[in-house]
Amino acid sequence: MHRLAIAFRSFFALIFDGFLPVDLITELGLVEKSAIPKPAPPPPPAPTAADGALQLLGILQRDGRLLDFLMEDIASYSDDQVGAAVRGLHGQSRESLDRYVKLQPVIDGVEGTFAKTPAGDPGLVKFIGNVPAGTPKGGTLRHRGWRAMSIQLPPIAGRSDVTVVAPAEIEIE
Amino acid sequence: MSHYVIGIDLGTTNSALAYKAINGGDSETSAVERLVIPQLVNAGEVAEENLLPSFLYIPVEKDFAAGTTSLPWNGNPQYVVGRLAQKRGVENAGRLVSSAKSWLSHAGVDRSGAILPNHAPEGVPRLSPVAASAEYLKHLRAAWDAQFPESPFTEQEVLVTVPASFDAVARELTLQAAEDAGYRQVTLLEEPQAAFYAWIERHPDWRERVQVGNLILVVDVGGGTTDFTLIAVTEERGELALERVAVGEHILLGGDNIDLALARLVADRLAEKGTRIDGMQLQMLWANCRAAKEKLLEAGSTAKEQPVTILGKGTGLVGGTIKAALRREDLDTVMQGFLPETPSSEMPIRQKRSGLQEIGLPYASDAAITRHLAKFLRQQSAASEQKMTRRGPSGLACPTHVLFNGGVLHSPFVRERLLRVLNGWLAEEGFGEIEPLTGEDLMQAVARGSAYYGAARHGKGVRIRGGIPRSYYVGIETTMPAVPGMTAPLKALTVAQFGMEEGTDVQILNREFGLLVGEPAEFRFFNSAVRKNDAPGTMIEDFGDELEEMSPMEVHLSADRDDREIVRVSFETVVTEIGMLQLWCVARDGRRWKLEFNVRERVAA
Repeated sequence: MHRLAIAFRSFFALIFDGFLPVDLITELGLVEKSAIPKPAPPPPPAPTAADGALQLLGILQRDGRLLDFLMEDIASYSDDQVGAAVRGLHGQSRESLDRYVKLQPVIDGVEGTFAKTPAGDPGLVKFIGNVPAGTPKGGTLRHRGWRAMSIQLPPIAGRSDVTVVAPAEIEIE
Repeated sequence: MSHYVIGIDLGTTNSALAYKAINGGDSETSAVERLVIPQLVNAGEVAEENLLPSFLYIPVEKDFAAGTTSLPWNGNPQYVVGRLAQKRGVENAGRLVSSAKSWLSHAGVDRSGAILPNHAPEGVPRLSPVAASAEYLKHLRAAWDAQFPESPFTEQEVLVTVPASFDAVARELTLQAAEDAGYRQVTLLEEPQAAFYAWIERHPDWRERVQVGNLILVVDVGGGTTDFTLIAVTEERGELALERVAVGEHILLGGDNIDLALARLVADRLAEKGTRIDGMQLQMLWANCRAAKEKLLEAGSTAKEQPVTILGKGTGLVGGTIKAALRREDLDTVMQGFLPETPSSEMPIRQKRSGLQEIGLPYASDAAITRHLAKFLRQQSAASEQKMTRRGPSGLACPTHVLFNGGVLHSPFVRERLLRVLNGWLAEEGFGEIEPLTGEDLMQAVARGSAYYGAARHGKGVRIRGGIPRSYYVGIETTMPAVPGMTAPLKALTVAQFGMEEGTDVQILNREFGLLVGEPAEFRFFNSAVRKNDAPGTMIEDFGDELEEMSPMEVHLSADRDDREIVRVSFETVVTEIGMLQLWCVARDGRRWKLEFNVRERVAA
C-alpha cells in the first residue's frame, strides 16, 4: 500500500471509528491490544520444604516453647531449675509432636537383644562396631531408630511470612 | 434417609452431642453414637474433638490472620468458638465469654442484654448469655450438617439438657437460644435424668439391678455447677417405673472452683517465699494444678507431691521458670473445704454479702458440697412422694443407690469420700450402705443419655416421670395501712405445684385480679424447690427464705375497643408437652392473655 494512502486511511479511521481496520493493522505490523496477554498475577509461591520446616518449628515453639529453650544459655542455671522447666516443656512438646507427626521405631525390638537386618532400603539400618564385609544378617539392636509414618501439618494460610516462627508479644496493662 | 434423635449436652465448660438412629421404631438395636466436632484448635487449624469447649472469643481486627478462623462450613465466622477460643482467651481475657450457662440462670442481671464478656474493656462488642449459648448450639448444628448432609439437623428430633435446678426462666431462655440457633423440634431434658438414662442404656438388665422402693440419688458435679436429683423406683401395672421426686437448688460450684482453690494454695505458698504471679500465670498454674491433681489421684500413686511449674514468660524460659509443687496434703485441705465430712444436720452457711456487690456470678457462698447435699436430703417431702421416699427417723431422705456424674466425680478419691459421708449419714439413720451405680463415661453420659431417652420415647423404653421440679408462686401485696419505711408484707399465691405433669393445666379460680385493658401489668414471681405440698390456689403468708424471687411476669391486655375497661381475670397454669411452664390470665368470658417473663428490668439483687 502506498504510504500516503496508509497515512490518510489511518487518520480518518481513527478520527471517525476510533480504531484501525484489520488490514491496516497487519500492514503496519501492529498487534491488537486485546490480544496482548495480560501478565497473570504472580501465583502464590508454592510451599517449599523450608516452609514446612519453619512451620514445624513454629508449632513446637507455640505449644512447647522449644525454641526458647534451645536458644537460651542455660549454663548458669542449676540442674534443679533446668529440670523444672524441662518437665513442662517435655510434656507439651511431646503432645504437640504426637499430634502432627506419627513416629514409630524402625525396628520394633528390645534394645540390647538380637535383631535381624530388615530387608529393603539399606538406609533403614546403620551398622556399627566390628562390621564385616557384605551385609550382616543381624546383630545386637543398639538403637531402634525413628521413622515418621505420617506427617500432617495444617495448611499454611493467611500469614504470608513463615519466617516469623513466633510473633513478638506485647502486653497491654 | 435415616432419622435420628440428637442429644445435646450444653455444658458450662464443655458441650457434647450424641445421636441414635431410629428406623421404623426399631430403636433398641441401634447404638448411641458420639459426634466428633470439628473446631478451630489453633489459628488456621481445624481438628475434630469429642467435646466443644463452651467458650467464645470475640476477635479483634488482625487478631488472627485473614482466613485462619474459617471453618469448613463458614469462611468468615464472627466469633471463634471452642478450643481456640479457650486458648486465646487465656491471653486476652477481656474478649472471652465463658460460663454463659451460669449467666443464663442468674436472675440478678439482664439475661437477654449484651452483658458478656463481663469484664470486657470499653469498645469491645458484647453479647447476651442467650446469644452466646446460641453460638455453641449453631456450631453443633453446623458440625452435624457437615457430617450428615442427607439428614439435615432441622429435620431430626433434638433434646437439649439443662440442670434440674434451672428455673422456668432459665429453661425458657435455653429454648430461646435453641430457637435463635435455628433449632426446631427441641425438647429440654434434665441433666441428672439424662445421666440416669445413660446408665440404663449401658445396662439393658437394669430391671434386675434395682427394685420397687429403691431411691436413687444422682449427684452431678460438673465444671461449674452442682446438681442433685432423687429418683424413686415404683411400680405401675406390674412393671418397674421411675419417678423423679426431688431436685436440688441451683448451686454454682464445681470442679473449676476446686482446681482454682488448689492453684491459689500453691500461689499463696509462692507468695510467702516472695514470688508473686500475675493473672496470666495464675491461669497457667490453674491448668497445671488440674493436671497435677489428676496425677496424684491416679490409682496406685503414692507420690507425696507433684511438681507444677510456670514457665518464664519471655525468651528466658529456664531463667524465668517458677517452680512449685502440689502436695498431697493440699488436696486434703481443699477437699476439706469442698467435701467436708460433716453430720447430716449441718446446713450450708449463708454468708452476708456486702450491700454493694460487684455484678458477677452468684457463686455459692458455702463451698461445702456435702452441706448442700445434706440440705437437699432434708428438704420437705411432698405428700405424693412420701410412700416412695425412704426416710430415716430424723426425716433425712435415705437413698439406696447413688449415681455419680460430672468430671469431678471421675476421680475415685472424690467418689469414695462422698460415699463415706453418705454411708455415715445412713448408718446414723439405721440403714445399710448405699450402693453406687457404676460404669459410665462421666463426660459423655448426659449427651448419650438424652439421645437414648429421645429414642426411647418412640419405643417401649422406660421414661422417668417427674413433672415440673419446683412450685411456682405469684406475689400479692397485702392491703395494710402504709407504715413509713416499711414495705407492705407480701403473700404468695401458689400457681403451680411441684410435680405438675407435662401436658396438663390447672385453673386457679379462688382469686381474681382486676386488670386495666391496654396497660401492662406486672406480677412478682417466685419459686421453691423445697415447698412441694402447696396445692394450686393456696395462699402462703410466712415463707421466710423458702421462696426465691425470679424475674417478674408481665401481661399486656390488648384492647379490642378504645374504652379503658377493667377486666377481672384469674390465673391458669399450663405445663406444655415439652415441660415449659406457661401462665395465662383468663377472663370470665373466656378471653386469654399469656404472661411473659420480663428478664430485662430487674436490677442486681
